[in-house]
Order: sequence, then C-alpha cells, then structure tokens
Amino acid sequence: MSNLAVLPILIPLLAGIFSAFINKKTKMVRIFSILVSIINLIVVSYIGYTIFQNGSIILETGGWKAPYGIVLVADMLSILLVITTNIIAVACIFFARKSLSQQQESFYFYTFFFFLITGVSGAFLTGDLFNLFVFFEVLLMSSYALIVLGGGKIQLRESIKYVLINLFSSILFVTVVSFLYSVVGTVNMAQIAERVQEVEQKGILTTIAILLFFVFATKAAVFPLYYWLPKSYIVPNPVVSALFGALLTKVGIYSILRVFTTIFVYEIDITHQFFLWLAALTMITGVIGALSTNNIKLIISYNIIPAVGFMLMGIGLYTEASISGSIYYLLHDMVVKGTLFLIVGAIVALTGTSDLRKMGGLIHHYPVIGWLFFVASLTLAGIPPFSGFIGKLLLLQEGLAQDQIAIVIIGLITSLLILFSMIRIFIQAFWGEKDDTITPNRVKSRAYAWPIAFLVAFSVFLGVGAEYVYPMVEDISAYLLDPSQYIDSVLKE
Amino acid sequence: MLIAVFLPLIFACLIPFLSKWKQKVHTGWFVLPIPFSIFLFLILKVGKQFSPISQSYAWIPSLNINFDLYLDGLGLLFGLLISGIGTLVVLYSIYYLHKTEQLSHFYVYLLMFMAAMLGVVFSDNVYALYSFWELTSFSSFLLIGFWNHRKGSRYGALKSMLITVFGGLSLLAGLILLTIVTDTTSIQAMIDQKDVILNSNYFGWILGFLFLGAFTKSAQFPFHIWLPDAMEAPTPVSAYLHSATMVKAGIFLVARFLPIVSLSEWFFFIVSGIGIITLCWGSFIAVRQTDLKGILAYSTISQLGMIMAMLGFGTDAAIFAAVFHILNHATFKGSLFMVAGIVDHETGTRDIRKLGGLMTLMPITATLALFGTFSMAGVPLPFLNGFYSKEKFFKTSLELEEASGIVQALATAMPVLAVLGSIFTFVYSMYLVFGTFRGEYKEDELPQKPHEAPFGMLISPMILVIGIIVIGLFPHLVNGSFLAHAAEAISGHESHAHIKFWHGFVPPLYMSLAVVALGTLLVITRKRWNSIYNVVPGTLTFNRVYDWLVDRTELFSSKITKTYMTGSLKLYVQLILIAIILGTISMLLITNGLNLEATDLARIRLPELLVVGMMVLASIATIFTNNRIAAILILGVVGYGLSILFVLYRAPDLALTQLIIETVTVALFLLVFMHLPKLEKRNESKGSIVMNATIAISFGAMMTIVGISSYTSKWFESISGYFLETSKSLGGGSNVVNVILVDMRGLDTLFEICVLGIAALGIYGMIKLRRKKEAK
Amino acid sequence: MEIITSMLAGILFATGVYNLLQKQMLRIIIGTALLSHGAHLFILTMGKLKRGKPPILVEGVENYVDPLPQALILTSIVISFGVTSFLLVLAYRASLLNETDNMEELRGSDHE
Repeated sequence: MSNLAVLPILIPLLAGIFSAFINKKTKMVRIFSILVSIINLIVVSYIGYTIFQNGSIILETGGWKAPYGIVLVADMLSILLVITTNIIAVACIFFARKSLSQQQESFYFYTFFFFLITGVSGAFLTGDLFNLFVFFEVLLMSSYALIVLGGGKIQLRESIKYVLINLFSSILFVTVVSFLYSVVGTVNMAQIAERVQEVEQKGILTTIAILLFFVFATKAAVFPLYYWLPKSYIVPNPVVSALFGALLTKVGIYSILRVFTTIFVYEIDITHQFFLWLAALTMITGVIGALSTNNIKLIISYNIIPAVGFMLMGIGLYTEASISGSIYYLLHDMVVKGTLFLIVGAIVALTGTSDLRKMGGLIHHYPVIGWLFFVASLTLAGIPPFSGFIGKLLLLQEGLAQDQIAIVIIGLITSLLILFSMIRIFIQAFWGEKDDTITPNRVKSRAYAWPIAFLVAFSVFLGVGAEYVYPMVEDISAYLLDPSQYIDSVLKE
Repeated sequence: MLIAVFLPLIFACLIPFLSKWKQKVHTGWFVLPIPFSIFLFLILKVGKQFSPISQSYAWIPSLNINFDLYLDGLGLLFGLLISGIGTLVVLYSIYYLHKTEQLSHFYVYLLMFMAAMLGVVFSDNVYALYSFWELTSFSSFLLIGFWNHRKGSRYGALKSMLITVFGGLSLLAGLILLTIVTDTTSIQAMIDQKDVILNSNYFGWILGFLFLGAFTKSAQFPFHIWLPDAMEAPTPVSAYLHSATMVKAGIFLVARFLPIVSLSEWFFFIVSGIGIITLCWGSFIAVRQTDLKGILAYSTISQLGMIMAMLGFGTDAAIFAAVFHILNHATFKGSLFMVAGIVDHETGTRDIRKLGGLMTLMPITATLALFGTFSMAGVPLPFLNGFYSKEKFFKTSLELEEASGIVQALATAMPVLAVLGSIFTFVYSMYLVFGTFRGEYKEDELPQKPHEAPFGMLISPMILVIGIIVIGLFPHLVNGSFLAHAAEAISGHESHAHIKFWHGFVPPLYMSLAVVALGTLLVITRKRWNSIYNVVPGTLTFNRVYDWLVDRTELFSSKITKTYMTGSLKLYVQLILIAIILGTISMLLITNGLNLEATDLARIRLPELLVVGMMVLASIATIFTNNRIAAILILGVVGYGLSILFVLYRAPDLALTQLIIETVTVALFLLVFMHLPKLEKRNESKGSIVMNATIAISFGAMMTIVGISSYTSKWFESISGYFLETSKSLGGGSNVVNVILVDMRGLDTLFEICVLGIAALGIYGMIKLRRKKEAK
Repeated sequence: MEIITSMLAGILFATGVYNLLQKQMLRIIIGTALLSHGAHLFILTMGKLKRGKPPILVEGVENYVDPLPQALILTSIVISFGVTSFLLVLAYRASLLNETDNMEELRGSDHE
C-alpha cells in the first residue's frame, strides 16, 4: 500500500526518460505524453482518494526506517497539490502540441516537462529537508532547460538572470540545511519538528528559520525578493510560462507553509508577524507592477506576486481559518495562473503582439477566448462565485477577526487593482472596433481554447462547488496546526 | 423563490442556443415571459395579509454561505420593480434594438442582471447578497460596454465598474465584520443582535464600510460621477439599471440594515447629509446638461439623494415617504428614459439644443413626457404621484428631532435645502419637456426626419404613465397592499401612514408652492442665469479626480516599478542580499540567537592553516585579476584547496570527487571563455565598489556568525550514529558514505543523476539548436 | 579549527558575492563557484572536523567522523557541477547572441 506514494514521482520520471528516447518521432511522443499525463492524473486522484479515506501514506524509501532514511509523506496537503499539479499538466500538454514548434518539441520538451512534474511532485511529497533541496534542483534544472528552449536572444538573456538568482538561493538552501543539521542533528522534517519543539525554538533556531524562509521566499517571489520573476516568466513559450506560473512559485509557498506550520511555530509573534508585513508589501508592490506596463504577458506575470502576498498573509495570521484560506488560495491560484498564461499566450500567438496598445476588437474574432479571459480575470480578482473568492473571504475574515485591519484594507485595495489591471486588458484588447482586415484563425483558436476551457471549468468548480473541496481544506488546516500528527505519523511514536 | 432568482440565469445560458430562430424572431420575445412570470408570481403575494416568507437552500454550508432567501415587504417592493420594470424594458427593447445588433449578448447580460438584482433583494445571507451585488456590477459593466466600439462606452464601463466594485469590496469588509461580531451570516439574525453590534469595537468600521458600499452603488455625492457616463448604455438599460433598479441597491442596503446603522448618532448626519448634498448638487448640475440622457442621469442622482435623505431622517413617516418615492421614481423616471429613447430613436439626436417643437410631430410621446416631468417636478396636481412623495419629503424634513451642534445645524437647514434642490428639479424638468417638445422646430439640425414612434415602443412608457396617474388618484391601492409592508420591514414598526392630496394650508404646501413659483420664475428668466450654471466648474472637478486617480495609478505604478525593475541583475542581487542581511541580522538580535562560545573544537594545525591561508588569498585574488585565464586558474586553486581540506578532514570520497569535478569545471571554463571577450578592467565608481564590498563582507560575516552559532548549539545527538552502526549489518558495506549514498539516501542520488541528465540534455539542446540555425 | 573554517567559508561567500555583483559574466560565474565551495565547506564543518577515522568501517576502530555531511556534500557537488556547466553554456550562448558579456547591457525593456 505505502508504495503508492512513490508513483506520482516515478511515473513522470520514467515517462521523462522514455520520451527522451523517442523524441524524434514527434507524433508518437505527443500521444505518449498525453496518455501518461492522463494516466498519472487518474493514479494520483486514486491515491488522493485513499489518503482522504485512510490517512497519510508514509513510504520509507529503501526500507530504511524514519528518521534515518528518506521518507515520502503523502498527506492530504501534499496529495491535493499533486492532483492540482497534474490537472494543470494535462491542460498544458494538450496546449503544448499547438503552441510549440516542432523543433522545440524535438529538443526534449516532453522530457523536461515530465522531469518538471517529477520535481514538483517530489517537492510536495518528500519528508526530508535535504531531499527537498534535491527535488528543488530537479524542478529548477528542468525549468532552466525549459526556459531556454527555443533559444531566442531575449530568452537567453532573461534566462541567465533566472538561473543565477535561483542558483544563489539553492546554494543558500544547502548551507542553511547544514546549519540546521548542526543544531538538531537530523534532516528528517518530522524529527526536526520534534526536536525544535523540545528546545522551544530557542537560540539560533529562529535565525536559521528566517534564513530558510528567505530561501523559499526567493522561489515563491515574496517582496523584496521577486525581481527575477516577472520578466523571466514571459520569455519562454506560453505553455512553459503557464507551467512556471502555476507550479514553481507555488512550490516555494508550499515549502513556507509546511515549514512554518510544522517546524518553526514557537516564535510566532516574531516570525509570523514579520510575514504579515511582507505579505502586505508583496501585495502592493506586485499589483503596482501589474499596472505599470502595457505588455499583457508582463501584466499576468506581475499578478503572480500579489497572490503570493495573499497566501503569505494566511500563513502569517496562523489560525485554522487563515491557513485554510491560504491553502484554498493556493489551489485556486495554481489553476488560474496556468489559465491566464495560456490565454495570453494564445492571444499573443493569434495577434502577433503582446503590446496592449496595438490590440482591439478581438472579441469579435475570438469570442470564446475573450469570455474565458473575462471569467479568469474575475476569478483572479476574487469575485464571487469564482474560486478566488473563497480563499480571499477566509483570509479577510480571519484578518479582521485578528484585528489586522490594515492588511485587510490593503488586501481589498489590491483586489480592486488586480481587477483593474485585468479589465484593462479586456477593455483594450477585446473590446473596440472590429477590424475587418483580420481573418481570424478559427481552427487555431479553437485548439487553444479547449485546454483553457478545461482549466476554467475546474476553476469555476473550485468556486461554485466549494462545498466539495472546502471541508478537505479545513481538515488539512486543522492537521497542519497540530504538528504532532505529522510527527507521529512519520516517526510512529 | 430560488427558481425565481435562478430562472433568468438559467435562461441566460440557453439564449446562445436560440440562434436558429434568431433570424426570424426578435430574441426579446423569448425573454419577455421570464420577468413577466416572476412579476405575476410576486404580485400574487401582494395584499394586506402579506407576511414574510423565508426559504433556505444549501450552497457552501461549511462556510455558512447559503441561499437563505427572505421575502419581506421591502424585498417584495423591489422584486415587483425589478420584474415589472424588467418586463416593460424588455418589451420596449424589442422595438428599440434592431435585429442586427448582438441581441443574444444583450439579453444574456440583461437576464444576468435581473437574476442578480433579485438575488440582492431576496438574500438573507450576507455572502450570497455580496455575490449577487458584484454580479449586478459586472452585468452593468457589460451592458454599458454593449456598444464597445465607442470610446465613451468603454470609458463609462470601466468607470462604473471601478467605482461600484470599490464600493462592493468595502461592503464585503463591512459584512465580514458583521458576521464576526454577531457570529451569523443571516441579516435578520444580525438585526436581532443589534445591541451586540452597537457595543462592539468595530461599529464605526462597519458603518463606514457599509455606507461606502451603499453610496457608491447609489451614485451619491461624490461617487455620483459614474452614473452620467453609464448613459452610454442602450436606453432600455439606462431606464432599467441606471434609474429604476440597480442604482437603488444602495438605498436598499441602507434600508435593509437601517435597524443596525440607525443606532449610530451620526446616522442622520451622514446619510441625510450626503443625501441632501447629492439632491442639490445633482439637480443643479442637471440644469446645464444638453444631452437628454445627461439631464435624466443627473436627475436620477438627485432623486436618489432625496430618497437617501429621507431614509436618513429615520422617522416612520420619512421611511414611508422614502419607500413611496422609490416606487414613484421608478414610474416617472422609467417613462422619461423611454421617452428620451424614443426621441433619440426617431430624431437621431439627444442634444436638446437641436431639438424643439416636436409636440405636433410626436403628440403621444409629448403627452407621456409631460406627465413624467410634471410628476418628477412635484407639481401639486392630484393625479401625479411625484407630488405626494415630495410633499411627504417636505413634511418630514420639518419634523426632525431636536439635536445638538452640527447635527442640529443640518436639521435646521434641511427644509431650506430641500426646497432649493426641488427648485432646480422643477427647472430642469420644465426645460426637459418644453425644450424638447415646444419651441422652434429645427428641421435642418436633425439627422432624421422625426415622426411618432411605432406603437410597440410606446406601450411601455404608456403603462408607466398610467401607473403615475393611478397611484396619484388612488394611492391607497399601493399603500396598504405593499408600501406599508415595505416600510414596516425597514423600521420594524407597523406603518400608519396615510396618503392624502389635501392636508389644508400647512407648511409643506407653502413649500411646494414656493418651489413652483420660484421655479417658474427661473425657467422664464433662464437665459440670464445660464452663465451661473456654467460658472461653477461643476462635476468636472470630481471627474477630474477620478481621471487623475486612474492616470496617476498607472503613471505612479510605472514610475515606481521602473526604479527597481531595471533588468539589472546586479541591482536585483544587491536588493535581495540587503533584504536577507537585514532580515537575518535583526532576527539574530531580536531572538538572542548569538552563541559564539564554541568549546568543542578540533585542534588547529599548521598544514590546515596553510591551506586555508592559500584559499583565502586565492579567493580574494579572483576579484583583482584582470586576466581571464588567471582568474579561472585561481578559481581552480580554491577548488583544489578545498579537496586538500577534504583529505585532511578525513573525507576521501569527497576529495576524489572534488578533484575530478574541479578539473572538469576548470577545463569547461577555459573552453567556454576562450570564445568570449577578455576581462575588462573594472571602471566602477568608488561608491559602487564600497557598496558591493559592504554587501559582500556583511553577507560573509553574517553567514560565519550564524554558522558558528549553529555549530555551538549542538543540542542533539546526530542521526549519523545509526548509519555507522547499521552500515555493515543492514547496508552491507563498510564505506559508510557510499552506503548512505546508494542505499539509505538512494533517492537523493537517483535524482542527483537525474539533474545531471537534464543538464546534459539542456546543454545538448542549446548547442544543437545553434548548429541548426547556423546551417540555415 | 571549526571557527577558522567557518571564517574561511564566510570569506568564500563574501568573495563569491562580490564577484556576483560584477558586470561580466565570467566573474559572475566564478562568483557562483566560490559560493558553492563556501557552502560545501560549511556543511563539512557543521559535522565536526576530525573526530575520528574516515567513515570506512574497520574492525576495532570506534570513532569515525560524521558520514552524513559527506554524503550530502557529494550530492551537492554533483548537482552544482551540473548547474554550473549548464550555466556556462548558457552564458556563452547568451553573450554570443546578444553580442556582449556585460550583464548591465542585458537589461531589456517591457516591449521587445
């Protein structure tokens, strides 16, 4: 039974290796990838079902008992995120065959794609801090390979910045892991949690915690560490941007969530209060960025940042409802960011420009994409009944209940400005005079629309059907706030 | 009731599928039965014996978000307006909009709005209310942008959306606070706990947030600026959303929460104050408008202000008057918008300067307009409903309670301001009707040759005008059956109001007469005053504030963002490092993490010191070399030094690996950088060098300090003991490091190889791609 | 000795960062290499230095040095080798295409 936990990592890993061998046969590799993605989604959904029925699955790899060997901990939070990851993966893989050039496909896109999924799923599942570093490297290395795919001038230029900053944070990551190892004598997260609790996070531990936070925050794009993100996310192919926007920063947020609910929770007045400040600043600066440009890809890219602020706010408030809010927001944001990057990718592919000022009247040519964009915008801004609303409502509610009225007001203003930045695109690009000189490429636009519609539908489900999802999230939140559950399930004490 | 709310929504989804018949039949005919059946459903509830109905349907019960529907007098009044006016507007639109327009879009939005608005007025659950509230904003956005090829439409749509969503978010905050304080999401349950709310610390915030939501939606001063621009929408929409229903949502909100918000001592001052300012300002600005719909828009603003002011009075009589006026306003303003639409449709212009003398050409339209405007102006005639509610307004303004200070000042000024606002109302009403239908007929200036509108278009305004007269003649028809219930629902007391034409010679009558007299005077001598109406910079100031805000938001964002998002890697790294250094050091100090008294240390030996010294020198030398090969070799020295240290510190495997990798890396470096430009001498400014050095040194120092502190704080036994114990017995190898790598932490190694593989494929891709490009 | 190696690691970090803040790609990559050396030295130091024999089990020897940091360093060395090589090729391609190896000239704008 417990071997199930390795499948979400193993399937994409093997698929990645296999697809490297058949990469010259484009048709075959496409069909293969689509099949594997769908199978993987079914498998992880099944695993999710078992976990919600019977509790976490702990896999001690190689039969070495925890805390000595590496454990994979498939608990409710991990598997929910893995499932969402795979939903996005399926949408992206359908989109990929339309948006990539054959050359890009033959340069191992599918291989890197599967390795990226491997890394992301692994990062969600591992229960070992050093192993988390390794999975970070897997996903980062795949992302490096994906971001340079195609190799344009601008693309390589932005890639270098992306690689360097991530490399720096990775180096810091290992160093901090070694510091932590020195203090607590272990790299197993459950045992770290146990030992940190034993000494009540005294002395140097909080400093180490904050260093670890900075490592994750760099990947998650928290203020003031996000500079590398906006421009580097827009240079690769839209499908790669969508994967990045949907998954990469979220791994960072997940790590913060995990570490600061399971391990370092004994100096909340200091650390989590600090997060609240950063959350507020992240929201504001991020949305200001989104309003600063006319490049539609860049607008979406900047909009990643305020969402990170919202999620960090929930972690900073550190109550059951606020953590639920963060988790819900996390699920929602993964889906909606993927959607939006795919949509703007489609727009840019259809119009040939990303400059808002050069667009207009697109809704007459591409009504389906236009309305999908409209719905996704409202979702992003957290307008009910779409998915963004649920998470935001919980966060605002808890913010007010905790007397943090300032950050709530900032959150509200941010929502309005996010909406403004998105509706600006809708009004300028989609509305306006119909340009009869354009002959719309309907076949292409329809092919783009399907995967997007799939994601939008899922996102609408997350909002309207919140009753099916929220109780799970509530359980997860309660589980996270009681670290002993995690510790006991891993260490079996 | 749930069906009533969702019927329009469901049908909206079906409309796109009707396209088959769309060619032959106007889509409006399919839509028409929906509001009408809802209207019938609601009208059957009307009567003296009406009592509130509540129903509940689960949506997200775990978050207490449900469709708890509650139909009381207030909801019924609004429901009737929404469905009734909705029916008429749909009927009207069938003749107004041509089949070539994108009708299915239009009706989808309209039905969406209808459902949303019904949802707002029937919801007892605050979050359901909020959801519907935002849906009204967005359907209004889409309707204003219906003719989105026009610039004005796009501008108006954005403006209305930003302002109403701003209010919506504020409302959300208020509602959340209410749920926190009362621990329920039901409005009725909240009202039951009004004392708890009054005594909570949040009461002030709640008021502020709710009022902001209400005032933005109901276009109260200074948020009124979106309404005139919303007139870009097709006229049926203006008649429906921007006069009869949506803009009254704010009033509905205040009325709904009146038992709570009126507990505040500032309630009268804020609500009536803002209301009366809106009334005066709106009617004053209306006079100088030249666009028919512009006049009506400002007129709507001022009438909404008047209703708001009456709610603010808070007395039972005033609340009844407010409710009465909500109904009356819907009838006369609805008919007037439709008339304006007819004039526009038939003449091709809405510019009142070009219009005139249409009385003979369009007699029926002119008659309808006459009734509408006279009712709006509150001319004392027994068959005009507008007069009754306006007279009640005057009457209640005279009956305000004694208070002190500034509140008293406002209460005293209220009747005067009421009269003032009404005078302007009279002026623009007369101007509207006489300017359009009397005076000189300017045939040359009209784009089209006007004639009477088709009968179908006249039905709807006609029904509304009949409503004006019937309510005027037989007010008791509406009083007992639903107005009293509505007033009761707001105030919580039974309503004993009577509507009578003749009260005797009492002050309100003098006020009405004064309005007519002074108003007539102003109309006759209008030419002399024209300059005064235009002297005041007027609403432009607030429009400018809005435009300025929007422009500045973009400009400011772009300025701020450009200061740090320069694309310079150096700046990014600097900023990131400064953040990390400051954050970590302050955390170190706050939590007292410093612990440098390391005791358990290895002995210092000379060979090790020598290696260390060499590495220090080499690493510093990398900074100062200007020769690329030298730089790479010096880097190699550091790497080899490290492998010597590994040897000295008993890590043979590491030393070996490091040695090999260092060699390969250096070779790679040499290979790659042979092809790149030589190292240049750095010509940096002193400041930049100092900056970089400071960052570098403090970062290094910080890491050292945290490292030593961590080393000193070894509070636990390492898990390595287990590895040493079991390596042979369980792992089957005596080289413990190897056993860890391939067995205990085999997963790490597997994925480490994976990383190498990806890197190799990536590099291969980059090189191969170049070859292909060069080959082309 | 651990204090001295910590300081050395700190100096490696400092020089690494200083190089990272330069304009030319070569220096920047040298900076990252120095940083990873510093990181590896830190890991080794954190496991205590020279408290026994190398961790290769021999009959009769009781004290060995901590093997876990060594294993971690090995993994990390290999990974950073992979990344560094990738980065080198990337830098080479990028500077060739953009015709400069000065990062300050590789800023870009919103629209291109």
